[in-house]
Amino acid sequence: MSMLRSSSNGNGLLVLFEESGRNVERTGSLLRELLDHFPEHSSLARDILICEQEGDRITHDIIHEMTVHGSKLDQRDAYELARALDDVVDYAEETADSLELYGVEAPMEQAQELAGVLAGASEAVAAALTHLRAGDEVSTQLIEIHRLENEGDRISREAIASLFKSGTDPMVVIRWKDIFESLEQAIDSCETVAHVVEGMRLKQR
Amino acid sequence: MLQAHGTQQYTRFHMQESQSAVAPFAPAPVTGVTGVRVQPGPIRLAVIDTDSGFVRVLAKRVGEMGWQHRVLTTPPRPEDLLSMRLHALIVDLALLGPHGWEFLEQVCESVPGLGVIVCTGTSSVAQRVRGLRIGADDWITKPCHPQEVIARVEAVVRRRKRSSPGGAGEDGPLMAGELEIRSDQFQAFVGGQSIDLTRREFELLHLLANARGRVLEREQIYQHVWGYAMVHGDRSVDVFVRKVRQKIERFSPDWIYIHTHFGIGYRFEPEAPDDDDAAEPAAEEIPSGA
Repeated sequence: MSMLRSSSNGNGLLVLFEESGRNVERTGSLLRELLDHFPEHSSLARDILICEQEGDRITHDIIHEMTVHGSKLDQRDAYELARALDDVVDYAEETADSLELYGVEAPMEQAQELAGVLAGASEAVAAALTHLRAGDEVSTQLIEIHRLENEGDRISREAIASLFKSGTDPMVVIRWKDIFESLEQAIDSCETVAHVVEGMRLKQR
Repeated sequence: MLQAHGTQQYTRFHMQESQSAVAPFAPAPVTGVTGVRVQPGPIRLAVIDTDSGFVRVLAKRVGEMGWQHRVLTTPPRPEDLLSMRLHALIVDLALLGPHGWEFLEQVCESVPGLGVIVCTGTSSVAQRVRGLRIGADDWITKPCHPQEVIARVEAVVRRRKRSSPGGAGEDGPLMAGELEIRSDQFQAFVGGQSIDLTRREFELLHLLANARGRVLEREQIYQHVWGYAMVHGDRSVDVFVRKVRQKIERFSPDWIYIHTHFGIGYRFEPEAPDDDDAAEPAAEEIPSGA
């Protein structure tokens, strides 16, 4: 259930961000499981869709909290953070949906690797938001997110390049290029979260 | 150096293809492991030649015979030829200039099931011997009658078909352990009961069974069953082998049919439960990143 909390010091908002972080972490974990065992556990796509709906609900609650109760947090930062967290889940859900939409019969190793990177970055996002609410240091998590984003970039570039080798089925290219890109966008959104959190921490000092 | 036929001017490597070099013909269902589609159906032919008169007459005749054909005016890469899923290739080596031998060698090595017919202008005995030794199936000297070219293509395809695994008994059932593989029904049976393979699962099993005892690489399997080059990291072959195994195991649980060769591919060899090396559970797992 929603945990709208009235607060003048921004703590209610931070609680909602922490909740959103946990939703991101769960989504990343489910997507990794979906791809690792694809096509056997295809029903996990439904669970990811539920996470996406939950993400929308949390984002709505965050905006409501900012509008109704206000916050000491910079409103622009808060909005950007909410949007980036929502994007992670949206792109993850888009990936899961594409697997079914495009009639994918088997996974690609690179997609499994990217899902692993996303799951790792999602865990770090969740941990960073927990630390942010508690007022603890977040630099370890932010460094880890940046590292994983670089790793994701590398895998994604190589994966897309491999699609354009001669003799490849054009349908494979169409399907997997989209899937690799949505996975990369989900990872990039984790990095956006890291950037915003970094900015918020700097302003708190 | 081979001479160009007649007064035709040959340009090397700079001409436009008359059709896309990489688009495959319409899919055909069953393949032999050598790269040639062995099921009955129209012959798929490509001609690398710019002798417009010869090509036009030949194209008209093969078209009338229902063959699928395309004319290329530049030499495609071997992998592009693979994706075209051809039965035969007619090539005028004179068109390719000094790179002709290299091209011929690459094609014969990389597309082993493809029937290659050199159809070119005046040549020496040494050149013809060289071409045939490199791997060309036939050598025709221009000027030649299109009907003779067609007959020679048919003969090459026929020979290829006979020599490909499963080619001779294509429509007969293939017995392996408790399994009966019937290409006429695109299905496998155990004790007369269908194991309910999909078309692609059947093609995979049929391919492996026809290469009984031989290890087929993942890329090779993908190329033949899916008809395209396998993208690095694609797990389709592993997933479909797993599906086929599961379906067979439901009806023939005591036998092992498909063996994994880590990092390489799969081998079909029915093993009864009391065979010495039948029980190697580790070898039957699908590798995660092989």
